[in-house]
Amino acid sequence: MASAMSRRGGGKIRAPRRGLNGADVDFQTTWIVLETAFREIHTKNASALSFEELYRNAYKLVLKKQGEELYKRVAEFEEQWLGSTVRKEIVQTLSAPLMVNEGAGRTLATANERRQAGEKFLRRLKQSWEDHQVCMGMLTDVLMYMDRVYCTDHRQPSIFAKSMGLFRDQILRTPLSQHQPNLLDVLTRIILDQIQMDRDGENIDPFLIKSNVYMLEGLYESDVEAEDDKLYLKSFELEFLQQSAEFYREEGARLLKESDAGTYCRHAKRRIDEENDRCRSTLTESTSPKIVRVVEDELIRNKMKGLIEMESGVAFMVDNEKLHELNLVFDLEARVDPKKPELTRAMQKIIAEMGTNINNAAIAASEAPQVQTEAPAAEEDDGKARTASVKPLNQQTAAALKWVEEILALKDRFDNICKESFKTQSVDQALSTAINRSMADVINAFSRGSEYISLFIDDNMKRGIKDKTEAEVDLMLEKAIMVLRYLQDKDIFETYYKKHLCKRLLLKKSVSVEVEKQMISRMKVELGNSFTLKFEAMFKDMTLSEELSNGYKKHAAGVADLNDSKGIELSIKVLTSMTWPLEAFRSGIEGDNDGIRPQIIYPPAIRRVKEGFERFYSQKHSGRKLTWHNNMGDALLKARFPHSKATVHDVECSTYAMLILLLFEDLPNGSTLSFEEIEAATNIPLDDLKRNLQSLAVAPKTRFLVKTPMSREIKPGDRFRYNENFVSNVRRIRVGVVSAGNKVEGDRERKETEKKNNEDRKFQIEAAIVRIMKQRKELAHAQLLTETLTQLSHQFKPDVNMIKKRIEGLIEREYLERMDEAPVPSYRYLA
Amino acid sequence: MNDLTEYVTLISSDDFSYVVLRSTACISPIIRRMLDPSNGFMEASTNTVHFDNINGIVLEKVCEYFYYNEKNKDAKDVADPDFPTELCLELLMAADYLDV
Repeated sequence: MASAMSRRGGGKIRAPRRGLNGADVDFQTTWIVLETAFREIHTKNASALSFEELYRNAYKLVLKKQGEELYKRVAEFEEQWLGSTVRKEIVQTLSAPLMVNEGAGRTLATANERRQAGEKFLRRLKQSWEDHQVCMGMLTDVLMYMDRVYCTDHRQPSIFAKSMGLFRDQILRTPLSQHQPNLLDVLTRIILDQIQMDRDGENIDPFLIKSNVYMLEGLYESDVEAEDDKLYLKSFELEFLQQSAEFYREEGARLLKESDAGTYCRHAKRRIDEENDRCRSTLTESTSPKIVRVVEDELIRNKMKGLIEMESGVAFMVDNEKLHELNLVFDLEARVDPKKPELTRAMQKIIAEMGTNINNAAIAASEAPQVQTEAPAAEEDDGKARTASVKPLNQQTAAALKWVEEILALKDRFDNICKESFKTQSVDQALSTAINRSMADVINAFSRGSEYISLFIDDNMKRGIKDKTEAEVDLMLEKAIMVLRYLQDKDIFETYYKKHLCKRLLLKKSVSVEVEKQMISRMKVELGNSFTLKFEAMFKDMTLSEELSNGYKKHAAGVADLNDSKGIELSIKVLTSMTWPLEAFRSGIEGDNDGIRPQIIYPPAIRRVKEGFERFYSQKHSGRKLTWHNNMGDALLKARFPHSKATVHDVECSTYAMLILLLFEDLPNGSTLSFEEIEAATNIPLDDLKRNLQSLAVAPKTRFLVKTPMSREIKPGDRFRYNENFVSNVRRIRVGVVSAGNKVEGDRERKETEKKNNEDRKFQIEAAIVRIMKQRKELAHAQLLTETLTQLSHQFKPDVNMIKKRIEGLIEREYLERMDEAPVPSYRYLA
Repeated sequence: MNDLTEYVTLISSDDFSYVVLRSTACISPIIRRMLDPSNGFMEASTNTVHFDNINGIVLEKVCEYFYYNEKNKDAKDVADPDFPTELCLELLMAADYLDV
């Protein structure tokens, strides 16, 4: 190698080659060349220098194993340069405002002064850093051979890294003087200060800060350049995050106190965006998730609860339909926790509250009038009493309707909120299920829920859907089903619905059979076959009865005996007693002498028709017994009133009223019948008689009879006569049947329904237990309980105590036995 | 910044000039940096590089190698360039110097 060198090298090389001892001298001179060159570079005078020459010099030194010396010298040179020249320049820019704010507080210098001073410092520092970068880039290039050969061989950091470290140590780490912070601290503080100004809305130069941050990012904590060891991460970011956390903690607390939740949300959101922007424009991208997290922590996570519970918090927003702001809250919480426990809890609470309000209102509404009208309820007279009587009846029903409607409104409202504010469809199932669950809780918390829902449907069937389009009807049905879906005690609902449906069908109150059928088919879809079985049977009975009536009409036409009954037409409904809750029609008083139905005395014409039908029916279906429910029937008769506009009126009235009116048919004008006489002649149950007389002789529009004395109440001893002065404008008159409509049950009725329902449930539970045990033969107690609960859950939610009692009962009746040897209480099925 | 010329001149210790494509010469990181205008050395402003320790014969071979490298940049399984044995050692030195 030496020979190659000497053969090839220029004069300059050859000389030291010859005397190997002269290497030292050679180093010195070479180094001086290099050093001057470096100085030139640092003062930006590189254009006169020859790269090749410098490179060659360095190359030679390294080649002669003097790399180490060279390395050391360069480092020394840099250290000196930075320590004296550069540092002085920077320290000069540290003007008074910047230094003062260290100890004495910020008030001494105005923000503006501070900003300007800070900017000056930052600019200088940035300048120095950039110069250093460039110069070191050039130096590195020149010393590339040293880097390549010496540094890698001796595991030294490259000269560039070394010089960066020197910059850090000399410029940033060296304290200004004793007991004073080093420049790094100053820098950090200034940047933080500037950011703070930015947050306060003042203009700063983001680019300037960015370049300084960039510098910090380029420097490392130690000479080993590990990625997470950046000076930026180690010193600045920590402080930055800490300071931001403090700032936002304070700001959050202040805002919570001072402004409303909507503003808060908007503010928080804006802050987060701002911080994001700031990271992009001023700091560095990598900080952005961290600072956002800090802001989230401070402004959202720690404040969420307070925010939601604020006076103008979520409850306020829900109340005032501030969907947009709710959306903000939602977004905010979604940021910190995808499950959003606080918001969910708040929403549940609100629903529960609103629901309870509705429930309470309904209870209050249904109870208040009950007390008031207890007294006059029985005795209705004209005018005043009528309103008083109609009202309480309706008031309860109205309460029911109101309840359902409010529940529906509530549900709609929260659905809307979900959709608009929480974007439930795609994002958040959890929240919507929570809301749904709360809705269900609300509905189930209301003891009369089942009844009211049924009443709601009833009302709609009777009146609501009259002039509505198909779509509206559809909507109504859908709503009803929706509430029903939440309902737990579906069996109670079934009972009520059956009752209401029964009345609707028999009294022909239903507006459209189509809609009824639709409703039932919907229930079928929703609740299963067994649920609607009885409803369907009711409809079947109705159709069969129609056929039967027609058949009888034909039959009657052919039979001479029946033909002379003065053109009386009979329309009959034969109902299966099991499926129809006919007791709904029996009033409480009647229930006392149950079973013993007083034999009604019919006028001969009617009796003939009745007997004719009985014969006809037994011919068709032998072995079936017909029970006549006159209290449910109605009749259409023609009546003549000489003074009225239309002399002949069609009078639509109940069967009982018909019987009463028929009594007067043959009476000579002016003669009277006493209450007792009427009772004897018809044998109508006392209560019904009273009520019917009331509508015939008291109600102003249908006063076919004149009562003496003129009083509201019907009392034994009253006398009645035909009212020949009756006047009416309409041809067809409907005699109001008192209490024909469906209304809320009285307490007594309710208790009965409940009792009956509990009985039903007992059987259902027993059936379920037996079904399960038959399948499993042996089962632990707990397991049996859960299985029973799941089996029955689509009908109602059974009481655990009740199940236990049923199990006891089954054991007593030897369907089951306890297993003594089992470790947990278990039962065995006895076939 | 002045536009980069397409060709640069390499001058050997015995004053042989070789005008080569800039892109080929820049295969050597050393030459690339010498000519990098952002550093602002003399070489960059004149687009000329003097090599005081490489003679003309060797530099010629070096330039040959630059072009050879450029030509076969993307190819595989290329035959090795042909170098005279007596220049081997000097070429190695130059290669080390130029880091190619």
